[in-house]
Amino acid sequence: MRAEPPTPVARQPAPRAIRDERAGRILRQIAMAAIALCGLLVLWHFSVGNVFNPALVPTPGATFAKAWTMMKSGELFMHVGVSLKRVLVGYVIGCASGIAIGAIIGRFWLARELADPVLELIRPISPVAMVPLAMLWFGIGEMSKYFIIVYATLIIVLLNTAAGVSRTPVTRIRAARCLGAVEHQVFLKVILPSAVPYILTGMRVALGFSFMGIVAAELIGAREGIGFLIMNSQLLLQTDQLFVGLLTLGVVGLIVDRIFRILLARSMRRYMQFHYEV
Amino acid sequence: MPARPHPAVAPAIPPWTWLRLEAVTKVFRDTRGGEYTAARDISIAIDRGDFYCLLGPSGCGKTTLLNLIAGFEQVTAGAIAFAGEGRGKPWRRTIQGPGVERAMIFQDVGEALFPWLNVEENILFGPRMAGVRREDCLAKLDRYLRMVGLREDAHKFPFELSGGMKQRVQIARALIMEPEVLLMDEPFAALDAITKRLLQQELSRIWQETRRTIVYITHDLIEALLLGTRVAVMTAGPAATIKCEFRVDLPRPRSATAPDFVELTRRLETLLHEEVSAARKAMAEAR
Repeated sequence: MRAEPPTPVARQPAPRAIRDERAGRILRQIAMAAIALCGLLVLWHFSVGNVFNPALVPTPGATFAKAWTMMKSGELFMHVGVSLKRVLVGYVIGCASGIAIGAIIGRFWLARELADPVLELIRPISPVAMVPLAMLWFGIGEMSKYFIIVYATLIIVLLNTAAGVSRTPVTRIRAARCLGAVEHQVFLKVILPSAVPYILTGMRVALGFSFMGIVAAELIGAREGIGFLIMNSQLLLQTDQLFVGLLTLGVVGLIVDRIFRILLARSMRRYMQFHYEV
Repeated sequence: MPARPHPAVAPAIPPWTWLRLEAVTKVFRDTRGGEYTAARDISIAIDRGDFYCLLGPSGCGKTTLLNLIAGFEQVTAGAIAFAGEGRGKPWRRTIQGPGVERAMIFQDVGEALFPWLNVEENILFGPRMAGVRREDCLAKLDRYLRMVGLREDAHKFPFELSGGMKQRVQIARALIMEPEVLLMDEPFAALDAITKRLLQQELSRIWQETRRTIVYITHDLIEALLLGTRVAVMTAGPAATIKCEFRVDLPRPRSATAPDFVELTRRLETLLHEEVSAARKAMAEAR
């Protein structure tokens, strides 16, 4: 999966009318989200007992009550904390190595031609498929979890970085050479900045992947974490707790993604010269 | 460990008299072993301070010639060299690879500028690569920003600029390097007619002000006559050569409607007519 950065759109100055229009759009989006979520809750509430067996699907009330007790006891936050740490460590390592290897592959045709078949082969192997191997190699400790997350992150970041680096316009590189840039300056000051939109697109997709990977990593051989919570609830037939686990995963994933977007919008703005909606 | 001199601060070449293309031939090979001769046996001597226009139809190898002078590509045969007569002793130095004494102005300005740098940072890219601090070239920066009329826009990013303004940035970015030669590859071809006229006038003025040598590629006869001190007409490719070369001694600012300008244009149109029919024939054969 190779995500393309969006096409350039000129940034408009923001006179009052446009600002108002933008605020209106955001308000509408919030209203729509609220309506959709409320609708889902109502539907969920009335279908339990009528359509679904209450032993298999808890009511929203029961689910939120369970979530509240788990939050009060701190249990839920403990699970979230553990999972977040695993995601963060794996994600950072995965992104860093993905960018480094991707830059080399994108820059040197020999590396690219050697790496391409290998990458094509690895790409269909999902993080879940790597779980048994991770346990064999690293046991049931933290290392095996990091490995899964790194695996989930690395390839997508690598592919995007390589694509961005190799697609730096020749003209831009030549312009830099004319202005006296030597080889390492061309790479650091021209090629890498040119690839930033690609790299960030890859990093954002990878962030989603690492949240998918964390469940896989915690399904086996974990004693805490959101994935463990979900798996354990199934064994204990605690469907309300299972639903809490699923909801938590969704909420935490959403929050982290938003934080990522806000941080990017602030720090990487100059590289996103087409009003990039990350 | 003594630092290797940075190419941008390497000693400038001595005062030269000519930039010479000496029997330059360029052959491209495609992956299937086919050959395409883009330029054959081209010899030109560009005087220092010339505004040298290379005029030719699209696809005749003008850009190739410029890429060779810029050092982006290697000649297949022949050589490109600066030459002069320092203290009565003739000298000659061949071009190998890109160098800061030859600044290229690209037609595709969208790709040539660094979109993550604002106008000022784009212009200061060259000095920065050479390790010159911003504070040490503010005077120059101001001079060239003023020269291209962008003083008010120094902090805008390229995407906030029109095509003409972007091209001004590119020109200032090249000028701040104070190059010996400006290589311009149809720089105004993508602009609207009015912006184009305006920039042509300004380039003419900048040339008068700085007296930099300019090698200017165009397919537009009027543009060549408006700008150049010398115009070389190329034949239609493949295996393009120089068909003829002449001097334009009209006073500046030039006007395309002045009687002597019109007269010159008429004479050249007849000359170009032969190339037009040659190109038409080549097109018919290609089909």
